[in-house]
Amino acid sequence: MAEADPLEILRALERQDVSYILIGAAAARIAGVPVVTEDVDVTPASNRENLERLAAALRELGARLRTSTDPEGVSFPVDAEMLASADMWTLTTSAGDLDIHFTPAGTRGYDDLRREASRERLARGLTVAVASLRDVIRSKEAAGRDKDIAQLPLLRRTLEQIREHERKPPELER
Amino acid sequence: MLSGDILVEARRRAAISQAELGRRSGVAPSLIGRYERYEVIPSFERLRELVRACGLDLSFRLVSVDASDHDRVLIERELGRSPAERLRRGLAAGRRFRSLAEHAGGRG
Repeated sequence: MAEADPLEILRALERQDVSYILIGAAAARIAGVPVVTEDVDVTPASNRENLERLAAALRELGARLRTSTDPEGVSFPVDAEMLASADMWTLTTSAGDLDIHFTPAGTRGYDDLRREASRERLARGLTVAVASLRDVIRSKEAAGRDKDIAQLPLLRRTLEQIREHERKPPELER
Repeated sequence: MLSGDILVEARRRAAISQAELGRRSGVAPSLIGRYERYEVIPSFERLRELVRACGLDLSFRLVSVDASDHDRVLIERELGRSPAERLRRGLAAGRRFRSLAEHAGGRG
């Protein structure tokens, strides 16, 4: 397999005109959190047309179910009906690992995350919708897994520093 | 997190609007909006009152300050980079970590 390049996953999603939000560690990293990231987590819109486009992108990427026992992954029928049957998919693709969460913990899914998402240019010809750091924090707090909890102080600290850069001198309430 | 983000988070968890929070707390919705946009910084007591009106409470721990402020330096460095550069470096670090882990696993 060629070396993983998660940007190729995003390019495939864009080529197929999939509506999605980039979430998780990659979104945190884009916001400025100094964390390491290896894979891509996305929240796609769950309407039928979008699932068809998502399935096309996944077929293009040769997506297979990721398992701990088989590094090549397990094949499955990649179509809209199958994708609609679960809320979360952990996949391996020709461009690296991809996790799909239709309703990440603490959120109500795509429409919820879209409200605060920003469009970020990540490479030439590649601009994607990225979840806000506030929403990444909200989701990790709700997920409550050890690895999420461990990252929270750094995520919150980054949000504080972003706010310090953004804000004008405020009025202090007495 | 700072006051404005805490307030937005509390309001979202309670799934209520600024108007509803205003009704519950007696604080003008326009002022709640200014708190959330950091145009006005609420007193600690006011923030706690608003969070409680969302059905939640604030919890704090006093911890020692990191004298070296290592995280602040790392974050400032990242904030000085473009989003694309941040992601590129994060992914490159991920690949290096994975490679090291696989190398260590192969030796074990």
